[in-house]
Amino acid sequence: MAPTMLGVVLLVFLLFNWVGGDPAYVLAGKISNQEQIDNIRRQLGVDQPFYVQLWIFIKQILTADFGASWSTNESVSHILATRLGPSLTVLVPLLILQTIIAVGLALAVAYVRGSLTDRMVMIICTIGLSISILVYIIVFQYVFAYKLGWFPVQGWGNDFWENLIKYASLPILIGLTVSIAPNLRLYRTFVLDEINQDYVRTARAKGVGENRIMWIHVLRNASIPIITNLMAELPGLLLGSFLIERFFSIPGIGREVILAVERSDFPVIKAITVYVAFATITTNLLADLMYKAVDPRVQLK
Amino acid sequence: MPIDTALNPSASLVREVQHTISPGLWTLAWRRLKTDSVAMVSLAIVAAFILLMVVSGLGLVAKDWAKEVGINYAPPSWITLGAADAPTPAPLPSGTGEPTHLGPTPGSAFNSTVVDPLADVINELKGTKAADSAVSASAAVVDENKVVDPLADVMKDIRSGQANAKDVPAAEERRATLPFGGDKWGRDIIAKTIKGSETSIFVGLAAAVVAVFIGTVLGAFAGYYGRWVDDLLNWFYSVFSSIPYLLLILAVAAVLQQKGTFTIVLILGLTGWSGVFRLIRAEYLKHKGREYVMAADALGASHGRKMFLHIFPNVSHVVLVQLSILTVGFIKAEVILSFLGFGVPVDVVSWGSMLNEAQNELILGKWWQLVAATLAMATLVTAFSLFTDALRDALDPKLKGRSGH
Amino acid sequence: MDAADVALDPLLQIRDLRVTFRLDKHSSFEAVKGISFDIPKNSTIALVGESGSGKSVTSLAILGLLPPENTIIDSKSQIIFGGRNIVGMPQAELRALRGADISMIFQEPMTSLNPVFTVGFQLEEVLHLHVGLRGAAARKRSIELMAEVGIPEPERRIDMFPSQLSGGQQQRVMIAMAIACEPKLLIADEPTTALDVTIQKQILDLIAALQKKHQMSVLFITHDLAVVGEIADRVVVMRNGEIREQGPAKQVFENPQDAYTKALLKCRPQIDRRPARLPVIDDFMSGDGRGPRDVQERTRGLNPGDKVVLEVKNLGKSFFSREGLFGKREFKAVKDVSFSLAKGKTLGLVGESGSGKTTVGLTLMRLHEATTGEALFDGRDILAMSPKEFMQYKRRIQIIFQNPYASLNPRFIVGQILTEPMQIHGIGRNAQERTELAFELLQKVGLPEASFYKYPHEFSGGQRQRIAIARCLTLKPDILICDESVSALDVSVQAQVLNLLQDLQEEFSLSYIFISHDLAVVKYISDQVMVMNEGEIVEIANSDEIYRNPREPYTKRLLASIPKGWHPGQARA
Repeated sequence: MAPTMLGVVLLVFLLFNWVGGDPAYVLAGKISNQEQIDNIRRQLGVDQPFYVQLWIFIKQILTADFGASWSTNESVSHILATRLGPSLTVLVPLLILQTIIAVGLALAVAYVRGSLTDRMVMIICTIGLSISILVYIIVFQYVFAYKLGWFPVQGWGNDFWENLIKYASLPILIGLTVSIAPNLRLYRTFVLDEINQDYVRTARAKGVGENRIMWIHVLRNASIPIITNLMAELPGLLLGSFLIERFFSIPGIGREVILAVERSDFPVIKAITVYVAFATITTNLLADLMYKAVDPRVQLK
Repeated sequence: MPIDTALNPSASLVREVQHTISPGLWTLAWRRLKTDSVAMVSLAIVAAFILLMVVSGLGLVAKDWAKEVGINYAPPSWITLGAADAPTPAPLPSGTGEPTHLGPTPGSAFNSTVVDPLADVINELKGTKAADSAVSASAAVVDENKVVDPLADVMKDIRSGQANAKDVPAAEERRATLPFGGDKWGRDIIAKTIKGSETSIFVGLAAAVVAVFIGTVLGAFAGYYGRWVDDLLNWFYSVFSSIPYLLLILAVAAVLQQKGTFTIVLILGLTGWSGVFRLIRAEYLKHKGREYVMAADALGASHGRKMFLHIFPNVSHVVLVQLSILTVGFIKAEVILSFLGFGVPVDVVSWGSMLNEAQNELILGKWWQLVAATLAMATLVTAFSLFTDALRDALDPKLKGRSGH
Repeated sequence: MDAADVALDPLLQIRDLRVTFRLDKHSSFEAVKGISFDIPKNSTIALVGESGSGKSVTSLAILGLLPPENTIIDSKSQIIFGGRNIVGMPQAELRALRGADISMIFQEPMTSLNPVFTVGFQLEEVLHLHVGLRGAAARKRSIELMAEVGIPEPERRIDMFPSQLSGGQQQRVMIAMAIACEPKLLIADEPTTALDVTIQKQILDLIAALQKKHQMSVLFITHDLAVVGEIADRVVVMRNGEIREQGPAKQVFENPQDAYTKALLKCRPQIDRRPARLPVIDDFMSGDGRGPRDVQERTRGLNPGDKVVLEVKNLGKSFFSREGLFGKREFKAVKDVSFSLAKGKTLGLVGESGSGKTTVGLTLMRLHEATTGEALFDGRDILAMSPKEFMQYKRRIQIIFQNPYASLNPRFIVGQILTEPMQIHGIGRNAQERTELAFELLQKVGLPEASFYKYPHEFSGGQRQRIAIARCLTLKPDILICDESVSALDVSVQAQVLNLLQDLQEEFSLSYIFISHDLAVVKYISDQVMVMNEGEIVEIANSDEIYRNPREPYTKRLLASIPKGWHPGQARA
């Protein structure tokens, strides 16, 4: 865990301080104020040897103080703190709904495996997956918000419930449309893997009904890869919805990343990259622990 | 043949080998694949797209995609137009182009000739926007699009450059309709889509080759040698995989200031190898312990021989399947990146940049570019995915022979 | 089938059972070809056959457990139980039958139990389903059942997960589940094949005892006639989906009518005899069907003057598993093993799983690195050599693995498989000479020359093992390590491969280290036998001597577990 974190720090450092080069060069034409640029160079220690620059970077990470954004002068830590809430408002309900629906459908489809229904659902999933998420967003926003007026075209307020009900519902709907197909396909293979195991034959030989086999015996086993998979995806989801955030002007982390990339706002990208990576490493560790908790076979080893 | 060989095995060997060698596993997999009609149709579609890419890359088709052959937003010719609606070939004077998208709408310029079914909606929209007081950050699509479309100015430059250079058809020559409509500047959507396909497929394939190569080589070394080699490469992998993929791409895109088709190939390839690495490493780990590799070891085969001659052919199907999965993934990623303006440069068209334009056009009711890009992409990606699934089934050794009873 | 010996009121009747599997759109495979037999009440029926005989398919058909997607059971087939036909019975009725009136246990207890539920949960589930017991009552009954099948400390083990139990205990749990509802018929599908020989004996005894106690019938499916000799009342012999012979055990064992049955009985090495060649299936299936007569006995054993080719001293091998950040735990797989191998002789290495016998073989090949000890070959310690130096010796010691499906590279044609080692070691002047040598060896191991151009997947298990043997012979080794080399093969094929190994030993004066868990096979082929347990040598002696007169208690226990097969005069029914 610690070596991985160090690796991430090194990677990000190399990327921005070495590949990225001198901020004066990057910012040329973006900030006209020479004094401001000098300030930034001093802050990063551009003229100092590499290890000093690295140490400055590590200090920034540890103190969560990345200075100010190059383009808005807002402090980076403040940006991060205020953008997390809107992201989670969309993501948490999305994650919960998506998991429930995908698992339910996966079991149902696996139950009729090999049938016409199964094949049709899989083909629909494949076709659905082949359309870019951009198209879903463009079309859904156009049809449901512009034309039908069921949802606001975009926006975000200050009240949590207003945000959740009014502004987040169409983004969540789009998120579901996009995410259910791949998850359904994945979970279906998890379930099918289990259905072919010997213990399912034993359960049948005991006279256990197909429903109970599915919901008790198979689901309990299939939940192990499903949970680990979910945990592994968690931090990625935070950014995965960046397109949605951008289209609907939701002031979340994902939108912030895109804005930062557009403006070459390195402090913001650096901070988000490092912290999201740390979050990933932590959830991976948690997933590992959780895996040990749910799978009795692992404890022995 | 057995009689021949029995009589004089050594003499006729060379020829015999060519004549009598049994079908290998690849041949058998191909035979299985051939019986699968879905797979063959998908393969044909994928092959057609790749052929299109090559032909277009050689400049045999769609070479003149940038030529403004029709009027601005020329509708598809199969849309029936009432006599009154027939647009007079009176395009906007080239050079002025579109200042912004919703300001003085291009639609309004047409209003005299073409009935814009969305005119009301747009007007209403603008009204709603103004009324929506809760939204402070969003400030309507218009502003947002200004940020989004940093290309507008550049595009204008390029266009005027082209105009000065040569052959902008005279206004009279511009056609009122085009087979699948025209874009903002009156360029033929079909040619544009072909050119866009070339870019997107090339980027997807090339990036997949880069990523699969890196992932396979590193995975093979890690899985085969184990110990500190594995520890080191695994650390490298976990560093890469702990940064969410899209974030990594965006970070690299932010750092690399120059844009270009090869840059995007490198970005995608250099960041996308970790999944392949994990799979190939696991395969090598598994095969290293297999008895046929131990037998090769016992016979005195060198590490290189075991890794590449013995194990690699046995994991090559995984590599192939990964290649086609990643191609699909990278095509999608390229579309998103180009859409955001971090992908291909402005003078190159791809499905992503087409979608970017289409987003604004849709509001004006000009849906054909959106449909064209979506259709092309969905057809290819669906075919590619179905083919990948069939390929995986055909190569899966578990399906070989009867289930043992 | 003669009606006379069939009980008047059978528990279960199978009539004209025909099962076909659809392989793909165009082809199908008939696994069971219209068989009929009865299972009488309160008796044990053995269903015997080699792989592909259709025995397991038959047993799964009785419970309606064949995969419905690709199985076609002929509509005229009948499986009559309690006056009703199981074929085509509605699922709900079938479920009521399963686990209650007819229950089943399987070959792999580890995978047959659900890994994420406790043993207690799985036992209570069946009690709840069929008897309606719940809660404390179900738990009490489960503990009773576990005690009945001989699981020690059932109160503690009931809350364990299957992975926390040994293989034998897992199979006992399966049996407990199967007898929980007092079934009338217990189907046991190769229940002991995956278990060690001592555990096999215990499980067999348990099944026999439970059969008597509960007055139930047992359908015992096995590939090994010897296993059922002691417990079967009737025997049904199947081959390629057809019944070859059926009748009372006494008749089948003492006076078999069918040539195939005779072959099955004779092909397997017997503890008390050592024919120069084992009879093989063709000896019976062709000619008059009586098999070979006047077979000479072979004598085996070490002689004082035998030349020693390999001397192993204090061999030890430990595996280390990482524990925590820096700590590691040592597991001693082989401890202080010393022996010598004589030229042209066979050293048998027997032991149960985990005894370290395979590790000894792999360590000698340097496929594992030895922790301690030395192995003197021509006076040089091959374990201490540099890898480069060892290359010279590598070709002189070769190994044949257990699984003929895994030991040949599936992407090579047989020609490549055979010429590659010669190429590596520079045997033969050019490709043509190597090819000729390969053809010669194919002939030697009894394969047609056309095999040269084929891929391994086109061969049967026995043929593949011949290819593996030929591959070793390309290097003209002095020592051949056979690691369970015949264990995965059917009895009839096993005999052929054993004969081949003996022929080659005579011709090239090869020395074998023959590793196996099968005591009868080891006895047959070995001059000297070394018994191992938990990484140590228990006993080492001449083969006849050790079987006649074992000194150590462990050896005695091991030998006592060998299935005795049929003994005249043991007739039960």
